[in-house]
Amino acid sequence: MGRIALNDIRKSFGKTEVIHGVDLAVEDGELVVFVGPSGCGKSTLLRLIAGLDRPTSGTIEIDGADVTRHSAANRGLAMVFQSYALYPHMTVRQNLSFGLENTKMERAEIRRRIEDSARMLEIEELLDRRPTQLSGGQRQRVAIGRAIVREPSAFLLDEPLSNLDAELRVTMRAELAQLHERLGTTMIYVTHDQIEAMTLADRIVVLRKGRIEQVDTPLNLYNRPANLFVAGFIGAPNMNFFETTASDGRAELPGGLHIDVPQDGKITAGIRPQHLRLANREEEALEGTVTLVEALGAETVVHARALDGTAMVTVLSGQPNLGIGDAIRIALDRGEVHLFDAEGQRIDPS
Amino acid sequence: MAAIPRTLGAIVTAPLTWIARAIDPPLRWWQRLTGLNGMAAVFLLPNLAIFGVFVLFPLVLNVVYSMTAGTNILLGDRSFVGLDQYQRLLTCEDYTQAITCREDMFWTAAGNTFFFVVLQVSMMILVSTITALILNRNIRGRGFFRAVFFFPVLLSPVVVGLIWRWILQRQGLLNLIMVNLGMEPEVWLNDRAYAFTATIGVSVWAHMGFYTLILLAGLQAIPKDLYEAAEMDGTPPARVFWRITLPLLGPNLAVVLVLALIRGVQIFDEVYVLTGGGPGTSTLYLTQYIYEVGFASILRNPGLAAAASILMGLVLVVLTLVQLGLSRRNEQRGSRQ
Repeated sequence: MGRIALNDIRKSFGKTEVIHGVDLAVEDGELVVFVGPSGCGKSTLLRLIAGLDRPTSGTIEIDGADVTRHSAANRGLAMVFQSYALYPHMTVRQNLSFGLENTKMERAEIRRRIEDSARMLEIEELLDRRPTQLSGGQRQRVAIGRAIVREPSAFLLDEPLSNLDAELRVTMRAELAQLHERLGTTMIYVTHDQIEAMTLADRIVVLRKGRIEQVDTPLNLYNRPANLFVAGFIGAPNMNFFETTASDGRAELPGGLHIDVPQDGKITAGIRPQHLRLANREEEALEGTVTLVEALGAETVVHARALDGTAMVTVLSGQPNLGIGDAIRIALDRGEVHLFDAEGQRIDPS
Repeated sequence: MAAIPRTLGAIVTAPLTWIARAIDPPLRWWQRLTGLNGMAAVFLLPNLAIFGVFVLFPLVLNVVYSMTAGTNILLGDRSFVGLDQYQRLLTCEDYTQAITCREDMFWTAAGNTFFFVVLQVSMMILVSTITALILNRNIRGRGFFRAVFFFPVLLSPVVVGLIWRWILQRQGLLNLIMVNLGMEPEVWLNDRAYAFTATIGVSVWAHMGFYTLILLAGLQAIPKDLYEAAEMDGTPPARVFWRITLPLLGPNLAVVLVLALIRGVQIFDEVYVLTGGGPGTSTLYLTQYIYEVGFASILRNPGLAAAASILMGLVLVVLTLVQLGLSRRNEQRGSRQ
């Protein structure tokens, strides 16, 4: 079992409150990813769950038991650190067994667990090496192995792939997903990489300045962002935003393009770059000038400046013949427009 | 004729520019003659000259003196005796009994130095480690305490000796406090055991700040994550110390051990001021023996002192080689990480 609940968690360092009343329930076996910009409190929240820091107020429950005042060791959790935190003077085998020896576990059982996890992670041949003799990917596997041997009720992973190169990160990401599938244990994973978040998570928790902005499945976050921050944070390149004023259920975007809106007043229209395309001559379009062209082969990212000066980005398939300074007319699929009110909250179409 | 400098910057750098221009032609000529390796020799020459005059020459002179006899200082007035001085120092009927040795004071001083070094270094490492561990914690006034523990290192050894003599002498501060507390005063510096202990204590007090600093740097280099990983595993504090802190502090402890050994063997100034080697010969250490035989006694024997200093130097060379070996091993380990 590994159900984790956070109830109105607050954390202050001195007089500065960095976590402002977080409520969250992570279901047993779920892989939840904390994502957000630097300083949003995601690692702090993970450390509070781990027991490495104590909340200023609020309670943490694991499988229904209040563990807020329990030590890190007594929470039944295992953590994988960003730096791996392997003991450099011990062999891989000693690194794996060190934590188990604290529990006075029988040697045979320790050996069995080490062998099982080494087999699972394919690190059997590395057991007698020291961490300094391992590559980044191998160290990462050992760090995960050290967590697995403890057979915890949940894994806490603090940016575990951030020290790896891009290629290895993709491989390890897939391996982590398979590992979660195989173990079925609850995992809480912290990252600032939204691709990691989108590909790994059952649910994503988007954090900003110590507050949860939205908790949902990756696709729901992408398709129905709750506010401007989430809309801008999830998806690459970032969503385009156009501020405008709606009246009589209609709003005008730069270039004279009109969209229907369910409420009047100041609104922001958000359109993902992937939902924009080059316009035909006769259709309404956003008009602007190309400022940058990034040709990626299969697709081209075109940065442009709209007539009112708003920056916009579009992802076009193929290799369109566009250059810096060219005039551009961009059409959009009106069904893909996200609307936000003056407070930045999502407006659902009526 | 060089142009006259006009700006302040040019005026300041002008002499250097003129010197550079003056030495440029001979340097170019030398480089053409010897290549780049020859140029390295040119740049090393000033330092080598200083090293030669102040280290190498006295060292060679010392070896020469150790093979001569007599009370005269001038080499020309001294007679060559080969290895006689070494023989005199090393001849004993029973090496466990200093009194049976031809130069019994040398063996007494060597024995005292041995026990002093063993006890002082052990104490030094223990106290420095404990202090570093405490200063590494997030305690209030940490910066202040770090300065306090380092302060004695800045004092001249003579000042250290005088301060402690003032505290420990018969009518010193310590006895004054004891009398005021209704206790009997002690003759701290006139009792063999107390005086020997005092030399150890004072030298530990005077030098521990330096070693604490080395160990503190080592402690701070241990990643915090390792302790958090141990905390997640429920590792008891004692096991964290023995299995994580101590092994990772090992390279720093090795450096401290060798440095403390070297400095322990060389102990002189503060002890000389504090006890003068007494009472009797209970705090007579090797360096003081060398000083007294060579310069301070009426029947001075510079040749014997030189031979004793060469023997002591050999011990220090061995310890230095160990230290260099350890440093190199640490560097290699560091570069692998």
